Amino acid sequence: MAKVKEYGNAELEEKLRDTSYYTDDSNPQFLEDVKKISRTAANMCFQCGTCTGSCPSAPRSSYRIRLFMRKGVLGLEKEALNDPDLWLCTTCYSCTDRCPRDLAPTDVIMAMRNLAFKFDIVPRNFLKTVQLIYNSGHGVPNNDVNRAARVKLGLPADPPTTHSYPEFIPGIQKIMDFYKMKENADRILSEGEH
Amino acid sequence: MVETKNEPRIGVFLCHCGTNIAGSINIEEVKNYAKTLDGVVIADEYQYMCSTPGQSKIIDAINENNLNGVVVAACSPRLHEPTFRMATQEGGLNQFRFEMANIRDQNSWVHMHDLEGATEKAKDQVLIAVAKARMLEDLQPKSVPVEHAALVLGAGVGGMQAALDLANAGIKTYLVEKLPTIGGRMSQLDKTFPTLDCSQCILTPKMVDVGRHPLIELRTYTEVEKVEGYIGNFTITLRHKARGVLDPDQAAARAAATGILGTGCNGCGDCDAVCPVIKPNPFEMGMAPRKAIYIYHAQVMPLQYTIDFDACVKCGLCVDACGSEKNAIDLEAVDTFEEIKVGTCILAIGFDLIPIEEKREWGYKQYDNVITGLEFERLICASGPTVGHLIRPSDGKTPMKIGFVLCAGSRDNTGGVNKAYCSRFCCMYSLKHAHQIMEKIPGAVPYLFYMDIRSFGKMYEEFYYRIQNEGAKFIRGRVANILEDPITKNLIVNTEDTLLGRPVAMEMDMVVLAAAVQPKPEAEHIRQMFGVSKSQDGWLLEAHPKLNPCGTTTAGIYLAGVCQGPKDIPDTVAQAEGAASAASIPIHMGEVQLEPYFAMCMEDLCAGCGMCLNQCPYGALDLIEKNGRTVMEVTEAKCKGCGTCGGFCPGGAIKMQHFTSPQICAQIDAFLLKGGVN
Ligand SMILES: Cc1cc2nc3c(=O)[nH]c(=O)nc-3n(C[C@H](O)[C@H](O)[C@H](O)COP(=O)(O)OP(=O)(O)OC[C@H]3O[C@@H](n4cnc5c(N)ncnc54)[C@H](O)[C@@H]3O)c2cc1C
Ligand code: SF4
Ligand code: SF4
Repeated sequence: MAKVKEYGNAELEEKLRDTSYYTDDSNPQFLEDVKKISRTAANMCFQCGTCTGSCPSAPRSSYRIRLFMRKGVLGLEKEALNDPDLWLCTTCYSCTDRCPRDLAPTDVIMAMRNLAFKFDIVPRNFLKTVQLIYNSGHGVPNNDVNRAARVKLGLPADPPTTHSYPEFIPGIQKIMDFYKMKENADRILSEGEH
Repeated sequence: MVETKNEPRIGVFLCHCGTNIAGSINIEEVKNYAKTLDGVVIADEYQYMCSTPGQSKIIDAINENNLNGVVVAACSPRLHEPTFRMATQEGGLNQFRFEMANIRDQNSWVHMHDLEGATEKAKDQVLIAVAKARMLEDLQPKSVPVEHAALVLGAGVGGMQAALDLANAGIKTYLVEKLPTIGGRMSQLDKTFPTLDCSQCILTPKMVDVGRHPLIELRTYTEVEKVEGYIGNFTITLRHKARGVLDPDQAAARAAATGILGTGCNGCGDCDAVCPVIKPNPFEMGMAPRKAIYIYHAQVMPLQYTIDFDACVKCGLCVDACGSEKNAIDLEAVDTFEEIKVGTCILAIGFDLIPIEEKREWGYKQYDNVITGLEFERLICASGPTVGHLIRPSDGKTPMKIGFVLCAGSRDNTGGVNKAYCSRFCCMYSLKHAHQIMEKIPGAVPYLFYMDIRSFGKMYEEFYYRIQNEGAKFIRGRVANILEDPITKNLIVNTEDTLLGRPVAMEMDMVVLAAAVQPKPEAEHIRQMFGVSKSQDGWLLEAHPKLNPCGTTTAGIYLAGVCQGPKDIPDTVAQAEGAASAASIPIHMGEVQLEPYFAMCMEDLCAGCGMCLNQCPYGALDLIEKNGRTVMEVTEAKCKGCGTCGGFCPGGAIKMQHFTSPQICAQIDAFLLKGGVN
């Protein structure tokens, strides 16, 4: 546990905060959960960096897939799940293609997102995507600019998806209701508004 | 010898093997069970049965209880059967009145978390062993004389060292090399870490020693065709590939046999000058040409040309150039065969690089300026294709920023061409390469992309320090991919600097891949001919990783160098000297003992039908006339005790000693019917 010293000054206390890693910062169950959900031997990461080196997000952000692997190994649950970078993976699977330990870092990220959702830790844009899918069947629904572009290319204005066949939207909603996705998204979004 | 009466009197001894066995088997329970078995007069246990006090228990028990059979339940017979046989013998019994139950490798190690189940299984194992022990017989090992000669296969630095040691110990040694010259990989290297001595300068004197040693029979451009026999008496058929060029000895032999005169090849190279066929030279990794009649390089041993008959157009120009005085060339040459007899063999067939082009993300064979470590060695070597000027294959310019990709295909569990193991010398040779470019090209900077720098040998860590101090840059990250700038042909190396926690994209003039190593493709065939196993990773398997690293599970066959697993030159030479020493022991002893597990003909049952003769894979059986009857006879030295004939004989006339039908039936009965349980 981090050692706390009373300086009687909040700013100073934050500045001189003990940032050492203590063994009781670790939740070993976190690694087990990640392994179970991701179905990859996340404990076998040897921190070579191939994943971050392959990651198209990394050069443009502070997202480091290798660090998430590390936090998984060490059981640093809170740090991993509260890190907004968790949501910057594009799921391109480049890291999974190249990992020399034959791991699936992408699936580790997905597992951590799953676990974060249980703590209601989800960025607003993801929740809004949930609402959009619920209402239209699309994460990114068609819009006028796209429609015009499609027509110019000789395509129908709407693609042959729920946009053309709205009768399938209730089916999608049924699946999402089963997992309480919309319900939870609505709830978290509204709580955030207080 | 203790009088062995017919009544079985068996002693059972259980080993704890520290906690290896006792940790998952209830020894006390098994011991008490053993005491209840038919014929068992004493059951005892000890922490380490193989130790002196453990063995003393066996010896004392034999004498005190007048035992005629000993059962030890412990580790594998491969490890300690000889130990316990000696103890049995010291107690005054015939050494074959011993039976072992493997309750460790086959029980406690596999059922580590099932105490009850493992204990029950151990009881069964003891029951079965006791069933056999009740029926053991005295057997006498057979001594056979050992041929005073050895074979060393492969003439890299490992094979050469082994051959020199054997020959210096007074043993005639056949050194067989499939290429036209000896020297192996080491002759392709420029300098050697960590001392940086010139590879050729330390290797060529050895090559010359090999060439002129009176006890070394050098056979280059030769492969093994067939292996027969067993320790002490191997008969090996060699195939001398058609070389098309006679050395002085062969020319003299030809003159004697046919009257055709000529002094043979003196290495002048007149033929080379006129040959019109040009091929890539594999010694230079294909970066320089050779002719259809060629030598690999100027320091070859023997200095004798070779014709590549796959490329030769038989124009005859070389024959004219060679001239009637030397008359060394024979365009009609064919393969010839030779049979040699040796007592022991050492395999030293070396290694290859993996086909690193199959790692598409690193661009080898797609991008001109991505090369392998071996190509680097030839490019930086003063006697190489560029006389030691490192140049970019794309434009011949001198590279100033050179990336080294370590663990290229090593330490990679993804299968395919990748290898899970560490190739062990690439860290060190990449450091050496870094030094070489800083030494030769003023201002050039090496960048080493690494996961760990493994500089474990004597003076190796110091070498790492030195190269860092000279200015080499180290980036801790495994290379994710390499891209080529199509115009400049420069290379962009992508990875993460894991210490900085930032992605890096570095532009390099050239990239050298420290490609993983793998066994030679023909190693599989060679090992099957010599009866050697391979380990999970594909390299030839030693008899014991710690206690017998040069031997194999086939008596009389030894291993040296990288063919047993990646190792650098110091380790290769050390293992070669170990293998030579081990291979010389049976030869100096003059005879070896064979285990008496031979088939035996029970002549009164044998009908002389001869049907077993064709069954024997070793040709050990014959029909003979004896007392007016035709019966089968076993040549014990040829019999390997495989049991094929014993199982086959329709009259049940063949007895497999130490594995007799009654013994095996008793074991099966004991297990299935609990025979022998009181
Ligand atoms: C790029 C590179 C740089 C290196 N630099 C260094 C260094 O600086 N220092 C160092 O200590 N080590 C270095 N090494 C390692 C060194 O090359 C090996 O340790 C050494 O060559 C092993 O010798 P060997 O005799 O076991 O095998 P090899 O050198 O491979 O010799 C095996 C021989 O057996 C022959 N052969 C193969 N199959 C058959 C067959 N079926 N029948 C007959 N003959 C056969 C081969 O033709 C060859 O001549 C380097 C390796 C590489 C790849
Ligand atoms: S590529 Fe694989 S082993 Fe390497 S750091 Fe990433 S997850 Fe770990
Ligand atoms: S020696 Fe070094 S570069 Fe080669 S595989 Fe081992 S760790 Fe990797």
